[in-house]
Amino acid sequence: MKLFRRRRSDVIAEERLKFILVQDRSLLTPAEFERMKEDIIRVISNYFEINKSGIELNIQRENRKTILEATVPVISVKRSST
Amino acid sequence: MGRTIVVTAGKGGVGKTTITANLGASLSKLGRKVVLVDMDIGLRNLDVVMGLENRIVYNIMDIAEGRCKINQALVRDKRQSGLFLLPASQVHTKEDVDIDSIVSIISAIENSFDYVLLDSPAGIEKGFESAVAPSKEGLVVVTPDVSSVRDADRVIGLLENRGILGLSLVVNRYDVDLVNRKKMLNADSIVEILGLDLVGIVPEDKAVIDSTNRGEILVNYYANTIAARAFENVARRIEGENVPFVSLNSQNKGFMKFFRRGK
Repeated sequence: MKLFRRRRSDVIAEERLKFILVQDRSLLTPAEFERMKEDIIRVISNYFEINKSGIELNIQRENRKTILEATVPVISVKRSST
Repeated sequence: MGRTIVVTAGKGGVGKTTITANLGASLSKLGRKVVLVDMDIGLRNLDVVMGLENRIVYNIMDIAEGRCKINQALVRDKRQSGLFLLPASQVHTKEDVDIDSIVSIISAIENSFDYVLLDSPAGIEKGFESAVAPSKEGLVVVTPDVSSVRDADRVIGLLENRGILGLSLVVNRYDVDLVNRKKMLNADSIVEILGLDLVGIVPEDKAVIDSTNRGEILVNYYANTIAARAFENVARRIEGENVPFVSLNSQNKGFMKFFRRGK
């Protein structure tokens, strides 16, 4: 006797597709993505003291538009003494 | 000036050619003047689906390379006087195509027709580029499976990059019974994932094979089949008519449905 019913395959297809398309739609390779992250950290660090480990970067496609979303936790503002 | 629409998919075998032929014939039935352009250079098939293979004299490569005038290459449909085929060459390859010549041929044709439908080959290589370059709008064909939807997503990205913004979606070979049994992706999920305007759901219909065997376009030959009606609705939606989608989750099988559950 089967304890668990087999899952609906239409739902499985949908989940697999969404996962595949996240990968297909990402426009940068993982290495490029890391480089971009480091570049962004470097530029923002000129102005803010930031928590580098708390940075989140996401590239998303919604309604056929690509959006880069960045969350950067700021600790304090850097004031230049000049 | 007519509307120039590329019918494309990325993946092969999803019904691009069948949809091109039936959409063209349906638009023609609505009184429009239509030319169907076979862009599958070297692997032409639109002529066979329309049953016009014995009437071809010249093809699009003959026009591009100066061996004939545009009018000499156009083949009139057997049944509809407002429907024409511009055949592909069977002896060239896609690499032989000069995209600029294709663009100028199509822009010359646009002036004398209401619709120019370009049947794109499978793939995203040069054949695809040749079909997309002259087009202003796109009709993306998808079947309800993971491979087809994935490839369609890729093609939609490429079409957008090339500035083709009027994109619409046809879900082809839809098996209502499988969808009702939750064993096939439903049209709503596909539309949500791909984010295009839906202009048609064409049910799987054995009459398509039968009419193709005969070299007859379905909407001309078996106009009362469910697929033919769906093709005609695609044409009316492309014309801008607001045609409601018939509920395909048919409730009319009554209580017998219970006994089929979980099969």
